[in-house]
Amino acid sequence: MTRVITIASGKGGTGKTTLTANLGIALAKAGKKVLLVDADVAMANLSLILGMQSSPITLHDVLLGESQVHDSIYDGPSGLHFIPSGLSLDNYKRVDSERLAGIIASVAEQYDFVLMDAAAGIEKNVLSALSAAQETLLVTMPTSPAIADALKTKIVAQRLGSKVIGVVINFVMDEKGEISKSECSSILELPVYGAVPYDPEVRKSFMQQKVLPVIARKPDSIAAKELQKVASRLIGVQMNEVETKQKGKGFFSKFTSIFRRNKK
Amino acid sequence: MFKKLARKVASKKQDDAKTGSVSQVEFLKDFLSKHNYIFSTDFGENLEILKKKHLVDDFVVTNFDGSVVASSTGSGHSDGIMGTAMFSYIKSEIPDSEAVLIKREEGWHMLFTLNKKVFIIKAGSELSGIELKALALELSILLEENKEKVKAKKVAN
Repeated sequence: MTRVITIASGKGGTGKTTLTANLGIALAKAGKKVLLVDADVAMANLSLILGMQSSPITLHDVLLGESQVHDSIYDGPSGLHFIPSGLSLDNYKRVDSERLAGIIASVAEQYDFVLMDAAAGIEKNVLSALSAAQETLLVTMPTSPAIADALKTKIVAQRLGSKVIGVVINFVMDEKGEISKSECSSILELPVYGAVPYDPEVRKSFMQQKVLPVIARKPDSIAAKELQKVASRLIGVQMNEVETKQKGKGFFSKFTSIFRRNKK
Repeated sequence: MFKKLARKVASKKQDDAKTGSVSQVEFLKDFLSKHNYIFSTDFGENLEILKKKHLVDDFVVTNFDGSVVASSTGSGHSDGIMGTAMFSYIKSEIPDSEAVLIKREEGWHMLFTLNKKVFIIKAGSELSGIELKALALELSILLEENKEKVKAKKVAN
C-alpha cells in the first residue's frame, strides 16, 4: 500500500528539502518505488538539491491544467521518480494548489512511497500539501522557535486530517541549551524518527560540480547514517539489523552467534 | 552488547546535558495542551469542540431544501434558509462552483456543499477550500455518529 507523506516544519531553513531528497534516495536504494514531489510551489528548490533543475514540464503546468501529470515525472538519482515545481513567479500566482490532492491521488498507487516537500509557514500551499497526504513527518531544529512552529504545523495537519507520524530533529550540535531529543518528543507528543547531527558534508553536497544529496555522495558521513536510520524506520526495519548485515560479523557477534545457534 | 549499553549510557548522559530553557519548554507544552481536542459523547459539546478546532465562530448544516440538520447557534433557521437559497442560486448560475465566500463587515460567511448538505460557516477570516472541506468532513462524521446514536436509542426504547 502506498504511503503518501508530507515533510513539513512551519519554520524555514530546518532542512525539509534536504531531508526529502535524502530520504527519497535511501528508500529507493532499499528497493522501494519512490516519487518525490516538490510541493513548495512558491520557492521550489528540490530540483536544485537533486541536480535536476532543467525540467521543462513541472507541477505548475499540471496544476494549471496545461500538462498531464505523467509528463511531469522525471527519473531521479537511485531510480526514484520526481515531480519538480517550476521556478516561474508568474505561474506560481496562477496555480490552484488545491488541485494537488487529486493530482497525487492519480499517480500514488504506482509507488510504495510518495514524499512531498512542503513550503515553510502554514499558508494555502502548505495546507494543500498537508491535506494531500495521509501522513505528515515534521522536521525541526533543537531550538524553541523551530519547535513552536513545528507544533503549529502539527495542529494544522491534524485539523486537515493528516496523521502526524513523528519528528526528525535536524542540525543537532549537542550544544548546551539545545532542546534535548527526549524533551522534543515530549513537547511535540511525537516519536523522534531521527536526530540528524550538523554535518558540513550536507552543505558540501550542494557545492559540487554534480549536485548529489549527501546520502548518495557520502553515505558514510554522520548525517547520512542518521538519515538512513530515518528511512529504515519509515520502512519498518530496525537500523541495527541493517547495520549488522552491511558491516558483516565482528568478533563479538561471531562469538555470541555460537550461543544463538546452540539455542536453535 | 557492552558496546550497545555504553552507547545508551553515553547518549542518555548527553541528552541530560541539553536542557533548553525550562520556561520555554513548559510554555510549548502548555501551548499544545490547549489544542488537544477530545470529543465527548454529547453532540452539542462536540459541535463546540469543532468550532474551536477549526477556528470558526459558528456553523449551520442544512439539507438542500433549507431544513436545518445541525447548528452551533441553537436554531440557525434564518441563516439556513438564506444560505441554502443563495448557494442554490449561485450553483444554478455557475454549476461547477464548489464554495461561496462572502465578505461582510463583521467577518466572512462561507457556503460549502458536501454529501448533499450545505455547510454555512461564519468566521473572522476566510477559510480555503481545503479547510472548508476538512470541517465539513468532520461535521459529516459527527452527524452520522449522532444519527446512529439516536437510532440505537429509539430501538432501545
